Amino acid sequence: MSINPLVSIKDLKIEVRVTRAKRLSIVDSASFEIESGKIIGLIGESGSGKTMLCRSLVGTLDRRGAYIAAGQLIFDGIDLIAAKQSVWNEIRGKRIGYVPQSALAGPNPVMTIGAQLAEAILQDENFPKSDVEKRSLELLNIVQIRRPETVLKQYQHELSGGMKQRVMIACAIAQQPELIVADEPTTGLDVTVQAEIMELLKQIRKDFNTSIILVSHDLPLINEICDDIVVMHAGTTVEKIPSKLIKTSKHPYTIALYNSRIDLVEPKGQLKTINGQPPSVGNWPAGCRFSERCDFVKDKCRVKQDLPLIEIGSNHQTSCLRYDEIAR
Amino acid sequence: MNIIEAKDVSVTFNSYGDIIKAVDHVNFVLPKGQTIGIVGESGSGKSTFARVLSGLQLPTSGSVTFMGNPIQSGKNTYEGALRKEVQMVFQDPYGSLNPRMRIVKAIAEAIRQHQGLDKKASRVAALDLLESMGISALDAQKFPSKLSGGQRQRASVARALSAQPSVLIADEPTSAIDQSAQAQLLGLFNDLIKKGLSIVLVSHDLGVIRYLSDYVYVMKDGVFVESGKSEEIFNNPKEDYTKKLISSIPGRSTK
Repeated sequence: MSINPLVSIKDLKIEVRVTRAKRLSIVDSASFEIESGKIIGLIGESGSGKTMLCRSLVGTLDRRGAYIAAGQLIFDGIDLIAAKQSVWNEIRGKRIGYVPQSALAGPNPVMTIGAQLAEAILQDENFPKSDVEKRSLELLNIVQIRRPETVLKQYQHELSGGMKQRVMIACAIAQQPELIVADEPTTGLDVTVQAEIMELLKQIRKDFNTSIILVSHDLPLINEICDDIVVMHAGTTVEKIPSKLIKTSKHPYTIALYNSRIDLVEPKGQLKTINGQPPSVGNWPAGCRFSERCDFVKDKCRVKQDLPLIEIGSNHQTSCLRYDEIAR
Repeated sequence: MNIIEAKDVSVTFNSYGDIIKAVDHVNFVLPKGQTIGIVGESGSGKSTFARVLSGLQLPTSGSVTFMGNPIQSGKNTYEGALRKEVQMVFQDPYGSLNPRMRIVKAIAEAIRQHQGLDKKASRVAALDLLESMGISALDAQKFPSKLSGGQRQRASVARALSAQPSVLIADEPTSAIDQSAQAQLLGLFNDLIKKGLSIVLVSHDLGVIRYLSDYVYVMKDGVFVESGKSEEIFNNPKEDYTKKLISSIPGRSTK
């Protein structure tokens, strides 16, 4: 653990209001840290709470009726949970950029790309209006959009999926944020476009020393470009592991995810699937939430208990009770 | 025996006076019992071509035959007994099931339509079919909105199979679902292939294509730039475009 991480998330618990009295927790005990200049991959199945965690970092949870119920969320020394709207206004979009999940619907359909970029640039009130166009072109050049002058005058429906995603990234980096939260930025895009977007994120990290949280359910992708991987299952972080150590994972869920890669088997060979379905929100099993689907399960895993991440190596933490017995 | 053959098929669209050639004079064969992959980037025309094969889109020129007979008569395709032979699975599992019908009812209706069973028997058949797709009787009673993306996609495969087709055309069946659900769906397709179903698989995910296909067509700008046996395409790609596609697969270095 580093002494001064850029972001520190500890035992974060996010709940939604279902009715006046009923609360459902969608993220329970998420813990990890992000150091500056690192790319962190956040991986897990649909519904594991990845997107909610991202939203907590940009302070837009309340728009989904959710709120932080417990835990710590600290960004560069600022407590984001207690942060007032005025504090958020200085952080959101300026120091933390957000690339949303549905890139294809990302840009505002009734604004030109130019108007939208101008909005992102003018979050800084002191920015001279006369320079907006110059800065817009500069941003579009950073994200490698061809014919930027034309694109400025276009609307989102005139652009391809990859270009829309590039525009969203351009908006996110307009204020040179210290952290970019990219929520499944390439889901639904072609492999070739995906490879280009990933190169672009790496380049941005290199040029501006930006930290990036990259959310995806694509393990090979995450493994290739991230420094560390945080694995989520059913609202909890179950493992944090450096990418290069992924083969020595000490959590059965990570191992199962890794083994379900189709590029590991021969054509038409037997695929290793993960047993069952992810548990649904509110119906989480007691004890380890992966216990129902786990091949390594023992009775002690099913006992109701907290399963914190245990430090088992440099930068490597797991929540599995039987981690020392796992060998592959 | 070729179950589907496409000869010199073109599809052009008129967009504000511009003629766009989505599919440009292509030839294609689907031998019985094989899985054919069509791969290419967005906008290469692969979905349009899949729609031509399934009869949802009429070609501007050229013809498609099913077991030697043209599928098109006048403006209609796959008429009468042919209707059930070719079924399609769509990319978006959210959009391909009726949101106001319970899964079992939606499937039972398709079975009643295509197999001529009565209401009760079709329901039993639907439950059986869903069971074989890994959807329990309990989940079958739910509305599509209550299922996960992977379950929904398996339900729409069940919907397609309820007609007992000889050909399944799958347009990007795995791109909207996550990795573990994808492994389950591909396992399912694998079982169907072993049972002798012929499949046309359209995808930009080369991993999926490599896993299932016997023969691969690579599409770019409306034409097939390369085609060949699956291993040949992946081990010895000839066209630069194919090489670029293969080099973009993430994680090849970390296998």
